[in-house]
Amino acid sequence: MDLLLQTLINGILAAGIYALVASGLALAVGVVGIVNFAHGEFSMIGAFVSYLLFVGAGIDPILSLGLAAIVLFLVGAITYYGLIRPVLAAPELNQMLLTFGLSVALQNIALLMFGADTRVVSTSYQGATITLGGVSFGVPPFAAFVLSVGLLGALYWFLGKTRLGFAVRAVAQNRLAPGLLGIETQQIYLLAFGLSAALAGIAGVMLSVMLYASPTVGFAYTLKAFAIIVMAGLGNLRGVVPAAIVLALAEAFVSTYVPGGGGWVEAVFFLVIFVALTWRSWRLP
Amino acid sequence: MKLAVTDLTAGYGKAQVLFGISLEVAQGELVALLGANGAGKTTTLRTISGLIRPWAGSVALDGHSLLGISAARRAQMGLGHVPEGRQLFPLMSVEENLLLGAAFLAWAGKSEQLERIYALFPRLAERRWQMAGTLSGGEQQMLAIGRALMGRPRILMVDEPSLGLSPKLAEEVLTTLAQVKGEGVGVLLVEQNVALSLEVADRGYVVEHGRVVLQGSARELSSNEGVQKAYLAL
Repeated sequence: MDLLLQTLINGILAAGIYALVASGLALAVGVVGIVNFAHGEFSMIGAFVSYLLFVGAGIDPILSLGLAAIVLFLVGAITYYGLIRPVLAAPELNQMLLTFGLSVALQNIALLMFGADTRVVSTSYQGATITLGGVSFGVPPFAAFVLSVGLLGALYWFLGKTRLGFAVRAVAQNRLAPGLLGIETQQIYLLAFGLSAALAGIAGVMLSVMLYASPTVGFAYTLKAFAIIVMAGLGNLRGVVPAAIVLALAEAFVSTYVPGGGGWVEAVFFLVIFVALTWRSWRLP
Repeated sequence: MKLAVTDLTAGYGKAQVLFGISLEVAQGELVALLGANGAGKTTTLRTISGLIRPWAGSVALDGHSLLGISAARRAQMGLGHVPEGRQLFPLMSVEENLLLGAAFLAWAGKSEQLERIYALFPRLAERRWQMAGTLSGGEQQMLAIGRALMGRPRILMVDEPSLGLSPKLAEEVLTTLAQVKGEGVGVLLVEQNVALSLEVADRGYVVEHGRVVLQGSARELSSNEGVQKAYLAL
C-alpha cells in the first residue's frame, strides 16, 4: 500500500515540471505555429544560468528563477526575431530543420563552454526529505511541484482572464483575423515565444537542483514535452496538465513495478506517443 | 473620413492581379465593388487593409498615405475589413469573438458597444454563449461583420458576405449593411451577387482583369447594357 502511494506521489510531483516544460512547448506550437525542437535547450540554458549564478555569486536557485525567466524570455525573443520570424511562412519541414539545427547548435555551444560534465547545484536543502506516514519525498521535487502549479495557475489566469491573454488565444485560433481587428500579431507571436522559452528556463533552474546542468539535459525534456502535447492534442493548452500527469504516473509505475524498471523509464514517453497517435487515428472518421 | 485608392497595382509572387485600381469611399455611403471571380476584388481589399503590399499606387485615409503602416494599425485608425471566409475564432463564444473586435480599444465602453451589435443582429444575442464554430453560415457572416464593427470602423470593407447564404439571408445581411451605412460608416462591399448589391449600394465600380472598367451610381450601373448582359443576365 505504501509502495503504491509512494509511486503515485513520485508521479504527481514529477508531473509539475513536465507540465511546465510542455506548456511552453504548447505555446510555441499552438500560438506561433512552430514545432520547436530546441525547446529543451532553453531549459538547458536555464539550468546553466542557475549553476553559474550559484557557483559564481552564491545565489540560491530560488532567487535565480526570476532572473532565468527574464534571460530566457530575452533568448526566446531574440530567437523569434532572428530565426523564427523569417521562416513563419516557410514549409513546416524547413521550420523543423531550423529548430532542430538550433537544438544541435545550442548543445554544442554549451559543450564547448562547459564540457560534457554534469554539474549539480548543491544547495543545503538538496537532500532534505519530508516524511509523512509511510511515504517520503525530497524537498526540491516538492518545491518544484508547488512552484509549477503556481506558475501554471498564473499562465492559465493570464490566458483566460486578461485582454492580452485573450488576444494570444485568438491568434492561436486564426492567424489572419487578429491583424484585421487591430491586434499586432507579430507582437503576440513574440510574447508567446518569449513566454514559451521563459517557462522552459524556469524548469531548467529546477532541473539544476533536482538533476544537474549539462549540455544535453534538456533534450530528454524536449521529447517528453512532445509526448505530452501529442497526447493533449497539438497546441491544446488545456490538455497539457492531465497529459503531463499521465506521462509522469506512467513513468513512476514503470520505475517501481517493472523489473529493471529504471532503465525502461526513458522509453515510456515513446510508448505514450505511440498509443496517443494510434488512438487518435482510430477515432478519426 | 475618406478612403482613396489611386492606381493600385499588386499581385502574388510574380503574378500581377491588379493593374491600376482607383476608387473612393466616403463615410455614409455604400459602394459596391463588382466583378467576376478572379477579377481582383479580394486582392484590392487585401491591399487596402495591408495584408499584402502594393507594387505601386497609393492607399490613403483622409489624404494620409497608409504605405508602411501595419494592418493592425490601419484597423485601429478606423479601417475595418471583414475578410473572405469570415475567419472567426471557432472555439470562442459569439461574445468573445465580438469582444476581440474591440480588443485594441479601451474596454470601458464595451458593453454598450456589444448591445449596439446585438441590436443590429438580434440572432447573435440569442447565440451569445454558443461557440462561433457551431453557428450557421448566415450567423457566422453576421458575427464576422459584428466583430469588425466592434472596433468602431469609419470605413468598413466586406468581402462577399452573401457567399453560401440563401437568397433570403443574403438580402438580410446586405440590408443590415445599408443600416450600418445609415449610422455614418462608409461601406465598401465586394460582391458577385450584382443584382442584390446594386439594390443596396449608392455607387459602384465594375472590375475586370484587375482594372476598373466602369463606374457610376447604382442606378446608372443597373441600366447599363454591358452590366445587364454580363452580370444581371437580363
